[in-house]
Order: sequence, then C-alpha cells, then structure tokens
Amino acid sequence: MSLKQSGAFSTVETYYNDYGQRAKELNREGKKVIGYVCSFVPLEIITASGAIPFRVRGSIHEPITRGDTLLETIVCPYYRSCFDLSVKEKYAFLSGMVIPHGCDSMVRSFSAWSYGLPLSYFHFVNIPSVCEESSLEFFGSELNTFRKSLEKFTGKAITEENLDQAIRVHNENRDKVRALYEFRKTDPPLISGTELTMTLTAGSSLPVEESNSLFDQALTEVKGRGNSPLKKGPRILIDGACLDNIELIQLVEELGGNVVTDTICNGTRDHFPKADADGNPIDALAHRYLDKINCPKTYRSNKAGTFEGDIENRFGDIGTYAREFNVDGAILYVYKYCDPFGFEVPARKVYYQSLNVPLLHLEDIYSAGTMGQLRTRIQAFLEMIG
Amino acid sequence: MVFVLGIDIGSAQSKGIALGGQGSLGSFECPSGGDFKLTAEKLRGELLSQSGKTENDVSRTVATGYGSKLVFFADEIKPDIVCLAKGVSSLHPTVRTVIDVGDLYTKVLRTDGNGSVHNFLLSGKCAGGSGRILQVIARVLRVRVEEMGDLSLTSQKRVDFNTGCAVFAETEAISRLSQEVKKEDLLAGLHRALAAQINSLAERIGVEPDVAMTGGGARDIGLVRAFKEIRRHDILVPTDPHMIAALGAAIMALEGIEQ
Amino acid sequence: MAEEQKEAKPKKRMTATKAAASIGPMVKEFITGTLQAKAEGKQKVAYTFIVCHHEEIFRALDVMPVWTENFAGICGAKRDAERFLQRAESLGLSRSLCTYALCGIGFDQWREELGGMPPDAPWGGQVRPDFMISSGQILCDPRSKWYQASQQFMPDVPIYNIDLPYPLFQRNQDHRDVWSYYHQYIVKQLRGLVAFIEEQTKKKMDYDRLRELVNLSDRTWNLIDETYKLRRAVPCPMGTGDAMNTMVPINFMMATQKAYDFFVDLKKELEEKIVRGEGEVENEKYRLMWGGGLPAWYALSDFNYFNSKGASFPVETTYRMVAPLHDMDLPETKDPIEHLAWRWLGYWTFWFDKARKRPGSEPDVERLINWIEEYKIDGVVMHEAFSCRTWHVGLIWQLHQLAKIYKPIPVHVIGKDGKKEKVFKELPSLILESDIIDITSYSEVDTRNKIDAFVGALESIRANRAA
Repeated sequence: MSLKQSGAFSTVETYYNDYGQRAKELNREGKKVIGYVCSFVPLEIITASGAIPFRVRGSIHEPITRGDTLLETIVCPYYRSCFDLSVKEKYAFLSGMVIPHGCDSMVRSFSAWSYGLPLSYFHFVNIPSVCEESSLEFFGSELNTFRKSLEKFTGKAITEENLDQAIRVHNENRDKVRALYEFRKTDPPLISGTELTMTLTAGSSLPVEESNSLFDQALTEVKGRGNSPLKKGPRILIDGACLDNIELIQLVEELGGNVVTDTICNGTRDHFPKADADGNPIDALAHRYLDKINCPKTYRSNKAGTFEGDIENRFGDIGTYAREFNVDGAILYVYKYCDPFGFEVPARKVYYQSLNVPLLHLEDIYSAGTMGQLRTRIQAFLEMIG
Repeated sequence: MVFVLGIDIGSAQSKGIALGGQGSLGSFECPSGGDFKLTAEKLRGELLSQSGKTENDVSRTVATGYGSKLVFFADEIKPDIVCLAKGVSSLHPTVRTVIDVGDLYTKVLRTDGNGSVHNFLLSGKCAGGSGRILQVIARVLRVRVEEMGDLSLTSQKRVDFNTGCAVFAETEAISRLSQEVKKEDLLAGLHRALAAQINSLAERIGVEPDVAMTGGGARDIGLVRAFKEIRRHDILVPTDPHMIAALGAAIMALEGIEQ
Repeated sequence: MAEEQKEAKPKKRMTATKAAASIGPMVKEFITGTLQAKAEGKQKVAYTFIVCHHEEIFRALDVMPVWTENFAGICGAKRDAERFLQRAESLGLSRSLCTYALCGIGFDQWREELGGMPPDAPWGGQVRPDFMISSGQILCDPRSKWYQASQQFMPDVPIYNIDLPYPLFQRNQDHRDVWSYYHQYIVKQLRGLVAFIEEQTKKKMDYDRLRELVNLSDRTWNLIDETYKLRRAVPCPMGTGDAMNTMVPINFMMATQKAYDFFVDLKKELEEKIVRGEGEVENEKYRLMWGGGLPAWYALSDFNYFNSKGASFPVETTYRMVAPLHDMDLPETKDPIEHLAWRWLGYWTFWFDKARKRPGSEPDVERLINWIEEYKIDGVVMHEAFSCRTWHVGLIWQLHQLAKIYKPIPVHVIGKDGKKEKVFKELPSLILESDIIDITSYSEVDTRNKIDAFVGALESIRANRAA
C-alpha cells in the first residue's frame, strides 16, 4: 500500500517525517512553543496565552540511549522514548514544557525532565483521579494556577475572551477530525488508517489554526476521491494509549485489514470530546479534560453495582465506535509497564466479548524491532476474522 | 622469593596471572565451564608449570570474579571491581573511568590512579548491554566471536539496530537477516547499539577522562571503535584487556605479602 | 498446614532488636483477626492501602482494615506469591504491572472462584471484604486500578475511591500559594469517605472519638520520629532490616494504643542499647542509607549479609511515613478531618522549603543530603523493583543529582603530572535490582556479588580518604 502523494497528504507526510519542522520556524520567528505530553494538558489555555502547543512525540526507530542515563527502564517505553528524544535535543526549539499527572511514569520522572532539559518554563498540572463535583472544582483551581504560571511566563494576561476564542478554534479542530472519521465509514474507507493517524499526528505539531487548514485540505482531497486507497478487508478498531508512530497501523493495512477507528490518544481520545462553548471557560475545560476524556487513569465509580453495568459505563465509547464504524475486530495494544491500561485488560476482554467483537491483545515495547513478531500475530488474527 | 597468583573466574572465561618480584611469570585463560572449582585447579596447574614452580612456592593467591568463592586454595577473595581498578591503575595511572565489558555484566567504575574505587555501577537486567549479546549474535550469524570486530569494521552501510536488549536483539537480528542485510552491516549496527547502551550506563555515574575499556568485550575492535565514535574521544585499551582483573588480583596478592 | 513451605524456605532474618522480633506474630495476629472478624460478622472489614491518612476514620467507625499490600508482601516473604502472580497473568495481566496488585487480584479471583480460600493460603488467606477503599494519588496509579480489577470477580463488593493529591515540588512555585485549594479538596474527599463508611456500617461518626484517635496518631508520629532519631548513635543500635519489621506499626497499626506502646518499648530498648554501646553489627565499619525502593520481601536476609560485612543501616527513606509534626507549621484547626488533610499536605511538602534553598536540590535529594549528614552515612543503597513505578522511578536521577551537588569525600588523586592533588568526590552508591515479591527476578549470587563489590569500594575509599 502506498500513500497517495498529492497536496494535503504530502504536506502531512513532510510534517510527520520531519516532526517539529513548522514549530522550529515559528520559534525562529520569536513565537513561544510549549511542549506537552498526554491528552490531559489543556491546550486551549496554551493557545489562549498566545503560545503554541506542541505534542512531544517518541520514535520507535530511535534506540533509547541518553534517556536511560537519567530514567529507569521500568518507565513506560513510549514515555521513555519521548524523554530520550527530548534530552537528545530533538525538540530544542521548545520554550517550555507542560507535564500533567497522566500516570506514575509522568509524575515520578518530572524532576528528570525539568533538570534534564534546558527550558525556562516547566509546569506540572495535577489531574484528579476521580470525577465528581469536588474534583472538578479542585481541577478548576489547578487550571487557574496553570493559567497564572503561563501569564507570568508570557508576560500577558489570559482573558476570558482569549479562552473563549481558544475553545472555539480547538472545537473547530475537533469537528474537522470528526469529519475525517466520517470518511472511514464507507467500505472500504475513503481514508486509510495510516493517512488518518499521520494527519492527526502532524496536526499536533502545528498551531491549531494551521492544523485546521491542513485538516480542511485533507477533507477536500478525500471528498474528491473516487476510490479508496484500500481494498475491502476486515474493519479494525485500535484500542490503546498514544500511537504516534504509524507502523502498527500500516502493518495492519499492509496485511489486508482496514483500520477504521480507535480509542488512541492521538485519535478519538484527544479529538472527539469538545469543550462547552458557553459558560465559564475554566469550568468548561475542567469538565472536558476530566470527565470527557476517557482515559483509564481516571477512576470511574461503579454506579451500576454490577460488573456488566460498570464496563458499559467505562468502555461504552468503544461499543459506540464499534457500531458506528461497523467494526469486525479490535486490537488492544498496550505498552509494557503501563499500569492504567494494563490493569484493565481482563475487563476490556470481557467487554469485547459482550460486543461480539473478536479481540487481539498485544503487549509491546515501542520499538520497530518488534514489528516482525507482531506481523505474524496480526496476520493470524486477520485470517481468523477475515 | 615472592611468587603470587591472581585468579579471575568469570561467568564465561577464567583467567590467571602469576607474578614474581620482577613481574609476570605466566598467564593463562580457559573457558570457565560448568565446574568452577575444577577450572581454578586447572588454571593454577598451568600457571605453576609456566613459571616452573610448585604449589609450595606460592606465597599468596587472590581470587576474584563470579566464581571466586569456589577457589578454595585462595588466601583472599576480592571483588572484581576492586581488582579492575588496581590492574588498570598499575598500567595506566591517568585512567579515571574503567568500562569493563564482561559476559554477564558491564561494569563502570571510577578510580584515581592509586587503584582505589570511588563509585561504580553494574549493568542491570535490561539497562546496559553486556558482552553476552555478542555471543548470542555470533551464533545467529554463524561467525566466531573473535572475528566479529574485524568483520564489523568492513561495513559500508551500518543498519540501525533498535534495541540493545539481548532477547529482542536476537529476534531483530534474525528478522534483519531475512531481509538480506549483510552480516558486517548488522554487526556494525549491533556494536553501535551496544556501545550506546554502555555509554548511557557510564553516564549514570559520570565519565571522567581518561577512559579505559577492559574485559572480553574490549577485545572486540568493532565495539571499541563504536564506543570511541559515540564518546568522541580516545579510549585506552590495555594489552590483554580481559586479563586486567586477574592482574589486579595478583597485584593485591603482592600487596598482601608486603603488609 | 500453611506453615509448611514450598521448596525454598527463606532463611529467617536475624533482628537486632527484641521489638522487631515481636512483629512477625503481630502481623499473623491481625491477619487471623480479619478472618475472625469476618466469621463473627460483628465488624465490617475493608480492603485498603497504607499511607492514606485515613486509619483514624476506619477505627473511629470500627472498621477493620485489610491491608492488601501487606498480604501480598506476606506471600512474597513466604516465597509463595508465584502461583497468584501466574493466575493474574492467565487473566491477561502483564507481569510488568505492580506485582502486589497482581498477587492480590490473582488471589481474589481464585478465592471467588472457589467460594473459599485457595489451598494452603498463607496465614489462612485474605478475607473477602465487605467493601474496598481505594485511593487515587499522585503517588501510585495501581491503587485506583487494583480494586476495580478485583471487583470483576466480586461485583457485589462496593468501592469508594478517595483522591489525595499534593502539590508536586516546582522550583518556581511556593506550595503555600496553592495548598489551600488542595486542602479544601482533600477535606471533601475525606468527608466523602466518612459518609460512605457511615452508610456501609450504619453507624454515625463520633467526632470526639475521631479527635482522640487523631491526637493519638499525632503523638505516635512524634514518638516514632524521636525513636528513629536515636539511630544516629554510633554504633547504630537498629538497622533498616529491623525497620522493615517496625514499619508494621507505622503503616498498619496507626491510631492504635498498641502502635504507640510499641514505640515506647522500642525507644526504651534503643536507649538501653546506646548506653551499652551495642550496635546492630558487632564491629560497625560502614554506615549505609537505604536511599530508595521497597525491599525484596523474600530476601530480607540480604540485610544480614550487609551486616556480616560490618555495614549497618541507620536510616532508610522507605516506610518512614511520618515526619515530626512540630516541625511542620500546620494551620491550627479543631476539626479532626481538617487536621488530617493538613497533616497529609505537611508530610508531603516537608522538605520543600529546604530544597528550594539549595541550588539543584529537590525534596527527595534534600532528604538524602540531610540524612547523610545527620546519620553519618558512608554510602547509599537503593533497590529498583521492576514492577513498581511509584517508588522506583526517579531514583537514578536522585543519585545523579546527589552526586552533582553534593561531594563530601576528600581524596588524593594522582594528576596527569604524577603529582598528588586533593579533590572532593561524591558518596558511592549501589543499586540492587529485583522486585518486591516476584522472586523470579532475583538472583542471590548476583546480589551478593554486587554487595561485595560495594563493600570493596567503601573499603578502598576509607583507605584513600584524605584528611
């Protein structure tokens, strides 16, 4: 399978391969680029401050070396890779960095990051682990602390209007992503999984306005397509954390599957939930990031009192996507040492059974070196459900 | 007349050195095999015959290494990092950092020219590669370990190896071979990956020049070159780098008599 | 009998103090106590975690805590965790996850499947709880995932998850600027816990009793601090090996008179030993700090191995989950719940001010430096347990930073010109690697070789130390 090398997608590919190219330019122009990891960092506040949010990425092709000097190897391998690239100065154009309490790996390594990178701005955002009235209130205060620290850094107040405006433009971005996902609903999908994930990943390296226009171009181009870049094949949902290297998705599509939807961070988890546009913007953001982002890190209390009810409540979005995108099978792709996802594997397995969606569970170490092993297993799975 | 033995029983290879008042009288190495006790006896026998001595002539024996506790004729057992510092300092007193690439561990230690150890670090389960990975890959490639260094130097197009972990390196090597990658390019990639891992290990406790590389791994010229490239400075490799711990043990045996 | 052991019964660790020796039976007693309470049905039993500052609430409402980390540790110490870990793996849980949790989930699933205790369950087994109190903390993710995973096999057992954040140290931020909204939130979380337990037990909280219990644990905190500070004596009367026993009253028995009395006795015993000049080891040569990491519970006799080399451990950062309250400067309040929340924040921010004053320091590093000086430490030992990110990520960085900003050892080195010069070096350190309870990750030969090498380094530093 090859990518269609035309306008929008060739831009996407450039930004994907030379990740940070545009941010580097903007930094040269004197703009402040703020790096972040994880879906929990409220991008709207960064945008509202006039700075540019930039999602720090890892690379499965780059062996982790310098990062290991400061960080244990029992850290999530994806996160280790992000750290390794950062200390190797791959993101030297950043002016600052924001790390949230997304998981233990992030919390416990905060010192290594803040001393390992020569950045003048570092901020940690505490994310509550439960979602209820008191935690939303607390999170609102924590967001205001973040807001104030950014104000201090940029020397410019962040007004309610700035926040409202940022919420609007980020919501637009999310609408466009939704529209791109719509093209996955045909059989075969009009946009391949490889193209889509590459597009979203490229988008997370751009100012949101530029990301919006890139997505617009991609939308126009896909809409104009007569044929799908893929042949008909098993329609696959990818379930997991951040998958910012497209090799796994590419592998599935190479082997004849069509990746049609996902729960991944640089997929529906980040891009589907929108912030409420009216009302207090900080409340809206607290609500979006704490309640609407469905990450296993947030504890959802079992309101149903039954296991079946609990998993419907926790994983219901998977069922919705499976139906909406007419999924034939799912791949649960979990990184080694990932406690939040790791502990949910048994319950997720049961949930997929209840949906009648066949599941392949893979544990991996975020390295291109394991693709050979994954190939055999994915091939067998696709044959089984095909 | 003073006559001492330094015996280093490693997990893969055992080494021994005999010292007299005037210097080295004999040296010998052999695979450690399954019976460390027997290997130690064999080493002693060989060293005695090389130096033309008998058991009764031995004034003192110091044992070191993984199997040192099974050298029953030793007068004293010393940790290998202490022997390494001693051995290196006796040859090259300007060395401050020693990187010993052994079969089981890579050890990094900082010393001061007197032969004392200030701090050290051993490679962990997955953190920094040890020499074992070289043997694993030699088997996969069907080349002899001794040939790997020279072969690696002939590489024109090094492959990027993704991992330095022995388990994954093996499967990665096999899958690369199936893509018709040349042996030398694969080896150059492996050496690079291993050297990078060893370097991160060393950086954990800090690297002060001069730097020496010892152990069986230091006989692999491909690894040494890769390490030099990464560090961008010269690396001292003593003659017979794998014998350094045994040499240090023998020196400590001499010092033991002098006290 | 459960007492009969699988092949490799661990060697019993020798304790230095009588108090530490009395702990084993005590732990067994409260495991038996939970089984009995459940059988009698008079008292509710609840799964929960240590270091949540909620013991007072449990005890005031007569709920018996089942410390699930403790039970996993017991399985580990008895070298009988493997079968529970394997069961968890067969459910799809990765061995790379917290092995305490894996052991607990494996055990729970087995017990629920059988409708009774798994065969030869250690010390009679872990009782089926009436409810579970988990905790989402900035400290540990598995805490809020473990019981949720276990609930799959006992869906009728409700969970209440309390969130207990604290502000992370940030050099450019004074934690006092933010801690009032942290405090408000924690108070609400703790009040939520009270309401949940009231509902489960059908009892009303007696706030006078709660205040008394909070007062009791406050006094115990200060007493523990005074007792542990006695270990500054040379030779050191009690080491980390013993502290891995005396962690029991600190972490599992807080807010009981028994815990308080235990430390009264221990303090007296240590004072007597100091008068007699009796150390943990007979000829104390080296004083080491256990500077990070949970211990390998099945290999506590490694502490005896250190001791056999003349090395004593006067202080450890692990399980010393108390700090002197009089040094905390906490806002006054009559409300015991508000006090608990302040104490929580006071504990976690204890080293912040000091760390902010020293360039390059951080609270964890600051604590190492302070204790190195107070306890006259010659070297730092850490343990990396592969399955636990909570306590074991950041240790390498701490050692790295410590070496960078703190060089207390003067030595003579031979310079390039062959002349001697005096320089200052960092404290030597040793990192051991295995796991809290997964014995397959442990090698006694490797561990002891590393210890030998470390003692060799200490010896060599001692010999070359400049005046």
